[in-house]
Amino acid sequence: MFKRLRSLFRVLTRRREFEDGMTEELRFHVEQYTDELVRTGMSPGKAARLAQQELGSLTNVKGDCREAFGVHLFDEFRRELSYAARLLRKTPGFTATALLTLAICLGANLTIFAVIDSVLLRPLPFPEPGRLMTIFNTYPKAGVDRDGSSLTNYYERRGHISAFASLAIYGYSTEIIGDPGSTAREQTMRVSPDFFSTLGLGPAIGRTFTDEETTSETDHVAILSDTFWGQRYNADPNVLGKQIRVNSVPRTVIGVLPPTFRFLSADTRLFLPLASRPEDRLPSRRHSGGNVIQMIARLKPDATLAQAQSQIDAQNATLELDDPQAKMIADAGFRSLVVPLHADHVAAIRPTLLLLQAGAMALLLIGAVNLVNLLLVRASSRVKELAVRQALGASRGYLVSEVIVETTLLTIVGGLLGLAVAAGGIHLLRVLGADRLPLGGRIAFDARLAMVGLVAAIIMGIVFAVPIAWFNLRRHLGNTLQSESRGGTSGRTAQRMRHGFIVSQIALAFILLAGAGLLGLSLQRAMAVSPGFQSDHVLTGQILLPWATYPDAARLTFVESLMDNLSHMPGVLSAGVVNNVPFSGHNGKSAATVMGHVRRPGESARGHYSYGVAGDYFRAMGFSLLAGRFLTADDSRRSERVCVVDEDFARYYWPNASAIGQRLWDGSEAAKDAEAFTVVGVVGGAKQAGLTEDEAQGAIYYPYAFRIDDSFFVAVRTSLPPESLGLALQKEVRQIDPDIPVNDLRSMETRITDSLAARRSPALLAGLFSGIALLLTAIGTYGVLSYAVAQRRREIGLRMALGAQPRQIRIQFLSLSLRLLASGTILGVIGAWLTGQAMQAVLFHVQPLNLAILAGAACLIGLVSLAACLLPSQRAARISPMEALTEQ
Amino acid sequence: MTKTAELLPGTLDMLILKAVSLKPLHGYGVLVRIRQISGDALEIPQGSLYPALYRLEHHDLIAAAWGQSENNRRAKYYTLTAAGRRRLRDETAGWNRLATAIAAALNTTSEEV
Repeated sequence: MFKRLRSLFRVLTRRREFEDGMTEELRFHVEQYTDELVRTGMSPGKAARLAQQELGSLTNVKGDCREAFGVHLFDEFRRELSYAARLLRKTPGFTATALLTLAICLGANLTIFAVIDSVLLRPLPFPEPGRLMTIFNTYPKAGVDRDGSSLTNYYERRGHISAFASLAIYGYSTEIIGDPGSTAREQTMRVSPDFFSTLGLGPAIGRTFTDEETTSETDHVAILSDTFWGQRYNADPNVLGKQIRVNSVPRTVIGVLPPTFRFLSADTRLFLPLASRPEDRLPSRRHSGGNVIQMIARLKPDATLAQAQSQIDAQNATLELDDPQAKMIADAGFRSLVVPLHADHVAAIRPTLLLLQAGAMALLLIGAVNLVNLLLVRASSRVKELAVRQALGASRGYLVSEVIVETTLLTIVGGLLGLAVAAGGIHLLRVLGADRLPLGGRIAFDARLAMVGLVAAIIMGIVFAVPIAWFNLRRHLGNTLQSESRGGTSGRTAQRMRHGFIVSQIALAFILLAGAGLLGLSLQRAMAVSPGFQSDHVLTGQILLPWATYPDAARLTFVESLMDNLSHMPGVLSAGVVNNVPFSGHNGKSAATVMGHVRRPGESARGHYSYGVAGDYFRAMGFSLLAGRFLTADDSRRSERVCVVDEDFARYYWPNASAIGQRLWDGSEAAKDAEAFTVVGVVGGAKQAGLTEDEAQGAIYYPYAFRIDDSFFVAVRTSLPPESLGLALQKEVRQIDPDIPVNDLRSMETRITDSLAARRSPALLAGLFSGIALLLTAIGTYGVLSYAVAQRRREIGLRMALGAQPRQIRIQFLSLSLRLLASGTILGVIGAWLTGQAMQAVLFHVQPLNLAILAGAACLIGLVSLAACLLPSQRAARISPMEALTEQ
Repeated sequence: MTKTAELLPGTLDMLILKAVSLKPLHGYGVLVRIRQISGDALEIPQGSLYPALYRLEHHDLIAAAWGQSENNRRAKYYTLTAAGRRRLRDETAGWNRLATAIAAALNTTSEEV
């Protein structure tokens, strides 16, 4: 089989040679035979004639020879192809419309598919990625859905869960890298020694971390990413053993990762051991994850997720037996969940992407219906020609293959244009921030996408051919040939089919419009939510102080002098410091215990947003003061245990009493009286993780001295445009310590806007899709009605000759379109309701069936399709009876 | 002139293979050779000779190459390939079996039944 294909291919690529050889060979034959006949005594003329006669018609012999190689099929195909191309060239209007429709519809689908492919479909770049799992603690009843894993979890589970071949933990951070004067902040990851072996991909040169390197005294090693190695060391192969300064402490480079290494969406430059102290690994620290450390694991080849889950559950149950906090943990609904790593990483964006692909599919369907309609109209104008050819002996198979070749040629060219549109679309998505999606960095226009596009185009071509071929072949030859009109009449079925198409188009466009409306309204409602503070004119930036050079006391001094410097900076109204500003993207909750609060049955300790603040944080952020006072710079200096809570916190614990003077402990259990904090103020509740965060968990603000972290944010309120202050702020920080950069400099308003990106882009795209859908529907409706008018020209002319008024004719066509519109809208409402149900996960404060949106969509569709009907109806009413009746 | 026999369907390929197995031949040579080795008993329809040659070449049973003819003309010469040789052997054996069986059947006399 393969050999024959090869021989066919050889002939096809050297077609000229094949044909010439054949001619020469046959001529040689005739000459040889003629010579022989002449030798037997025949006259040369007669001999030549006889020789030719014996061989038979050259055309036939050559045809048979070509058939022997299977070449004839290609000749036929080429003939059909050039015929189709000629037909398409003859109707440039149709061809352009069809190609444009295909380009836009396929382009939209391919663009979204490129995203879906890289985010959802393409496996993670590790061996057997399907076996990679992530495990996290959840305390749903305490309002903490996700708390990562603790070091204790890791050391307790490692080697004890038999379903896992290997288990590892990691945490993201940023560190200051480089020698004094030329430092830069780089994305880093702290990982346990088995991190790389769990993923199944380790350093290309060098080694991984060892267990001995997991204490802060022995962790002076680092593994470089390939890009970092290339940029910083010019890919020096002798980099192993060199020193690199991380947070002012030298570390030894022990490995370089391969270029393909990319863990989820992280753009990590440097990997460091996740070092910890023995006391961090004690059972008492088991529930102190705080969403800082994450756990991954690799399932054994024969193990299942369910086995792993039950083993984890069993171990948790055993460990909790002697946990003094067991009751509270159980009340919080504690569990450690095992979920596939890839699916978990993209879980949040999945519904939105699928929804967008569904929208693009609906668009494609509308476009396809339009095309089939146009093709049918075209086919019906050629009915007679086809009937004549059939009568003359064209086979059905030939006519069908002719249609397939024509539609496929159209869709392939459309598909190529669609790929070009997709290339632009992918670029547009990047501008909209698609590379910030989980795994969004992988989105690219590649051979895989081109392949999908071409295959889709070919399939569409074949699907389009079905109704056309059926339409061409089903009619009775005799009737068609006898019918006097040149185009032939269109049957009732064909007409009903076209009307059905219009109805389904209107319904689909309606669904798209309603869906886009729901997304748009959700976005609008989300944008209308007040963050709870005055977000305008606030600049924020993150500062990370290395522990080595900044122990606790030095941190406070740094903050103190920074506040002092900033207060003298021109344009600064107030400035403050906090562990974590709202909308920073990593706001974690921790427990607090209120003195005198008796837990109701089943009520567990609650997780609250807990912050340490210094300087004039509340005034800088524009919080409103509801009772008592703010924490001020003085509180950071004094060691008095005071705190401020927000109104949500106050309402929850003291619904009927004043919060001022109440006392609470930082942590999940009551401690000594002297360690309790006294509430001195109540501030307005603020959105912490996002505007669409519905559950108000409450927040506590402690003086910074009591809650010192790796990093803090500085917030500056200014009278100037906040971004303009960025450089000045950076300078102030460098004045205190030239080694310390300011990271993630953004105004609060930008942070809020960025937090809505996951809503804005889909709403935008859905709006774009429904706009195109409307346009396509208008084109479709216009096309079908124009055709109906043209078809019934003579009938209309006759009726007008018999006294029908133009008004009546116009009303007839308008009422037809109104009927189609009504049925389409009814179907659309049903579809929109179902779609709304499916969309619930991505809606915000909008009911799936929103009357205003439905009415708006109906109005818009109604207007557009009526406008599309108006022109053909008008044309019908203006038909002159004389012309219509006399023309052939 | 001896009486010529009609070619049985399917035997043309076998005869061509046989003809080119003896010596590389061009198309016309194949014709002459078959006539010669069958003692002028078999007449090949010339119109079907070339499609048959092309089919055999396409199936890789014979190979074609351009060469010089006896009268110094460019001509396409066919030779048997390894696959062609195998096919010829199989077909010859099959044919002989068939011919023997048919001959035996036709020679049966009434006593033998």
